[in-house]
Amino acid sequence: MKSKFMNQVHYTLMILPGFVWLILFSIVPMVGIVMAFQDYNPGLGYWQSEWIGLENFKYLFSMSDAWQVMKNTIIIATSKMILNLIVPLTFAILLNEIKSVKYKKVVQTIVYLPHFLSWVILASIIINIFGYNGVVNTVAGVFGAEPRVWMQESSIFRQLVIGTDVWKEFGYNAVIYLAALTGINPNLYEAAAIDGAGRWKSIWHITIPGLIPTIVLLGVLGLGSVLNAGFDQVFNLYNKIVYSTGDILDTWVYRMGLIDLQFSLATTAGLLKSGVSFILIIISYVTAYKVANYRVF
Amino acid sequence: MKNVKKLAALSLSLVMLFSSLAGCGDGKGKESTASKAEESKVSSKVEESKSEVSTSKTEETSSGDDLAFKKFDEPVDVHIGMSVSPIDTTLPAGDSAQDNQYTRYLRDNYNINVIVDWTAAEGNDYNQKVSLAIASDTLPDGLVANEQSYLRKAAKSNMLMDITDLFDQYASEQVKGIVDSTDGRAIESVSFDGKMQGLPNVTVDTDGVHILNIRKDWLDEYSLEVPKTLDDVENIAKVFKEKKPAGDQTIPLSGPDKNERLYCTFLESSNNAHGLDPVFSAYDVYPGYWLQDDKGEVVYGSTDEKMKPALERLAKWYAEGYIDPEMGTRDSSGEAVNANQVGMFFGPWWSLGYGNGDSFKNDPTANWQTYPIFSDDGKWNVHMKSVGTSSTMISKNASEDVAAAIIIMYNALVRDEGVFDTSVAIGWYPLRTVAAAADEVEHESQELTRVLNGEADPEEFNDPMSIYKLLYQDATKVRNVVTGYTKDRELAVTDFSMENEGDFKRMYAILIGNRPYATTEVDKKVYSLTYSMTETMERKWANLKKLEDETMLKIITGQEDISAFDTFVSNWHAQGGDEILAEVAGLN
Amino acid sequence: MIENKTLSSRVFNILNNIIMGILAFSCIYPLWYALSLSLSDKSAANSGLVTIYPIGFTLNSYKEIMGDWKFFNSFWISIQRTVLGTGVTMLVLIMMAYPLAKSKKDYKPRNILMWIVLFCMLFSGGTIPWYITMQKYGLIDNIWGLVLGGSLPVFNLIVMMNFFRNISSDLEEAAVVDGANPWRILFQIIVPVSIPVLATIVLFTSVYHWNEFFQGLVLTTGETNYPLQTYIKQLVVNIQTTNLTKDQIENLSKLSNKSLDAAKVFIAMIPMLIVYPFLQKYFVTGIMLGAVKE
Repeated sequence: MKSKFMNQVHYTLMILPGFVWLILFSIVPMVGIVMAFQDYNPGLGYWQSEWIGLENFKYLFSMSDAWQVMKNTIIIATSKMILNLIVPLTFAILLNEIKSVKYKKVVQTIVYLPHFLSWVILASIIINIFGYNGVVNTVAGVFGAEPRVWMQESSIFRQLVIGTDVWKEFGYNAVIYLAALTGINPNLYEAAAIDGAGRWKSIWHITIPGLIPTIVLLGVLGLGSVLNAGFDQVFNLYNKIVYSTGDILDTWVYRMGLIDLQFSLATTAGLLKSGVSFILIIISYVTAYKVANYRVF
Repeated sequence: MKNVKKLAALSLSLVMLFSSLAGCGDGKGKESTASKAEESKVSSKVEESKSEVSTSKTEETSSGDDLAFKKFDEPVDVHIGMSVSPIDTTLPAGDSAQDNQYTRYLRDNYNINVIVDWTAAEGNDYNQKVSLAIASDTLPDGLVANEQSYLRKAAKSNMLMDITDLFDQYASEQVKGIVDSTDGRAIESVSFDGKMQGLPNVTVDTDGVHILNIRKDWLDEYSLEVPKTLDDVENIAKVFKEKKPAGDQTIPLSGPDKNERLYCTFLESSNNAHGLDPVFSAYDVYPGYWLQDDKGEVVYGSTDEKMKPALERLAKWYAEGYIDPEMGTRDSSGEAVNANQVGMFFGPWWSLGYGNGDSFKNDPTANWQTYPIFSDDGKWNVHMKSVGTSSTMISKNASEDVAAAIIIMYNALVRDEGVFDTSVAIGWYPLRTVAAAADEVEHESQELTRVLNGEADPEEFNDPMSIYKLLYQDATKVRNVVTGYTKDRELAVTDFSMENEGDFKRMYAILIGNRPYATTEVDKKVYSLTYSMTETMERKWANLKKLEDETMLKIITGQEDISAFDTFVSNWHAQGGDEILAEVAGLN
Repeated sequence: MIENKTLSSRVFNILNNIIMGILAFSCIYPLWYALSLSLSDKSAANSGLVTIYPIGFTLNSYKEIMGDWKFFNSFWISIQRTVLGTGVTMLVLIMMAYPLAKSKKDYKPRNILMWIVLFCMLFSGGTIPWYITMQKYGLIDNIWGLVLGGSLPVFNLIVMMNFFRNISSDLEEAAVVDGANPWRILFQIIVPVSIPVLATIVLFTSVYHWNEFFQGLVLTTGETNYPLQTYIKQLVVNIQTTNLTKDQIENLSKLSNKSLDAAKVFIAMIPMLIVYPFLQKYFVTGIMLGAVKE
């Protein structure tokens, strides 16, 4: 009993530095959340500013802009989530079919690469590549296509954001699937081959079922980030013309708070986002536990 | 069970410990700033009493400007935040934002010690820093607000000093002359609740007059006439498009790049290089401006029915490839102009010379000329700008001496801008807020022409306190720059000597860039009913502006047809436009 | 597996090889493009003529960078930040993940603490209160501001925690019998068997610190204190301003140099290019074991 108690003390001491960190850098700044319920006046500070109840929330919901931004965020985030499951999965299965071990290794090593580069850097390159005089237009020109200004077409921008994100992450995301693939018992394939099953049949009946738990799990885990459409990416890629389809919650909050001086409104939107994410995380936690019997945390 | 309680108590006390620590830090911070302010108040009082004795001893100046250019007995520290150009190369090695020819000049002449608390890249980065400074109530002594909204927010949050009396006391006669030249508009632009809370930016009126810049040498090559109306512009663009004088990269008419605007608005009513303002003015429509219609009702220019034909024409130009296809996303339209790919672009007077220096460097025969664009019935309509957009804010925590020092810095910039060594960009001058007489450029262009004609002697203009502060300098130089001058003939690029780049650019801008406004009568000058935000705008403008920007751009680039305009108008009214219209109407 | 040599199978193999090749090419192209651009003549780079190989080959951009102390200063700040940030984060995370990996039975406040951690991951006061707090701590222009300011990376904590949870408890029990206290168990038994997941998180954390650009702007008072990505961001991505004055415009057009920018971008990529192959062999297993329980 004594040692058990001592363990608890040790454990608490171990956790302490992390908790101090959280308190100092996460919990203390949370005081600012009160701004969401105020007409924040920086000259007066958090406690003297006028309290206006839910006024900011009401105003936020009345803005057509806010709804558009919400829509963009959800579309971009969910598309990314779904494609970031499917594309890496397909890639992993296809890569698994490559016979040459060396080639496989080389491809695998190269496709991780973009994951490690920052959006600051990638955006500067992507803007160049998709520019009017960029490579994409040059190549498209060979096939007779008219040059376009990709980055300014609001009908394309969303796809561009989603596409470049999937491109950046597919190699890296495939890692999990590739690891799961190695876990599938090779005897199964041999047995299938003896039974006369072709390649497609074995992929369909062995590979994919073998990956299902992983897929389900990743899907559920992604639920919490439905409102995270990728600030770094959009912030570095967008421009005024594509606000209608490209502006997401995080960039909108950034501009409201730090450029347009709407401190309270920005906080309100941020708080809403946190609230919704929190609920979604709980849902995914419960689902993962119930469906996959997996405890996320 | 005991253990648990102990543990809970332990962790609880830990939490409390930390939160109290954090709270402690809070209090300390406030205390120390408060005591600092106290300290500086004390020290400034000492200084004040000293300076009272000494002001009588300072060197004699021409007028009642003893205080305006006084040298402090003790160094006065002025803390500022500063916007810098990340790609500037004019600062000599070893110099910095805090230590350069301008700060040394201030130290040597006025005993003003500039301390740069922070810097940020001009534009968004800087604005973000200003926002943070306001939000956290940590304004340095002096800070330039790039847009009125920042000044307004700081003033409304009670962070700025009331400088009404100080300004009266310390502003030089020259500065007062300039401010008076605006009929009170300058003071009004920085006053809230009747208190002057910033040093105004007064810029020349012609900064808001947009004209057509065109490659005259290309016109001559295809024997085209100088354009007068939009039809002429269209025809010329068509020829440029077909003949491609600059090869495949030819852009007949350049448009705004991703950082520029389609047209000026009441908040940003000037200096819109590569915008399309003259196209709208030629249709007698003024988007972005608050106007009174024939019935006396307040309307917003962007919602005027007359926008439609203007937009339709622009959409046609875009579809035909007359306007830069990369309009709105290009990194820099100025770059394309400089690479001599562009045949025409709209802009204010300085677009030529200052704005496109490299164009001449790359092709010394690029004969850029400027012309006004008239409406079909031959009227030159011009939307006029606000007095200035930026301002210098002075924190209310600054001591009186510091505030006086900031006003002196402003005086000194106005008086001495002409004598600085301009090889170091003037942007390095701390708290640079420009003040110039509203008609400075027109006045200069007239007087310089007289000098060129031999009708005036440069020495006539030798008056350091003149409100035309650069005229004397320019008059002594003009003959060396415009070497090929012939009376009564339109100046061409070949008439200029490019030996001194700075002088060349300035003369080109004054004598060619500003020629339309200096020599052609404007038929209709349009002022916005207000150039600042109203209460509701503070909350709703960002949203409405975004709606507007998007609609206009999409119509022009053909992503939406003209019916989108009607949708925009009804949305605009519904989403706060009506409320704002009522407020603007209430202003007068 | 038995070889299947039908025609369709061969076609599939060829196509598959080609597709994989294209994908790999697309991932290496940006790097290649930046390199080409940086080795091209300034005017060719500015007018968008460079696509695959350098045009007007020159090393000027690299020569110019050699004399740019601000660039290297930022580079050094980023190195410091990455090394310190990764070190501190790892230490804190290891100590924190271990107790949290215990069940509620072994460590009573475990669940409450976990929810608090989670809450902190999701809720924040926003940039402004955070900035005000950092200011009060005196962490402006301070390397520790960049190291600690981003708060605890909760996601990494969860990955590590899940890994620890899956380590066989036999190992631990044996140690307990030997009389080892939790500190010794953690650092002498758990940590050594967790190298793959730790290496993975080292990689995550260092990538985060190296690539982060936003805090660099908020937490510093000028470009001499910028980490590299912030420095590059202000230079390359957008100098967004609506109110350009005439001298700013003049400067912008005069000084724009895509070739030089590309050279800086390329150099900024190098540390990641060096690090990731080393850690690659670990992170494959690391992510797997941390995120997904068999």
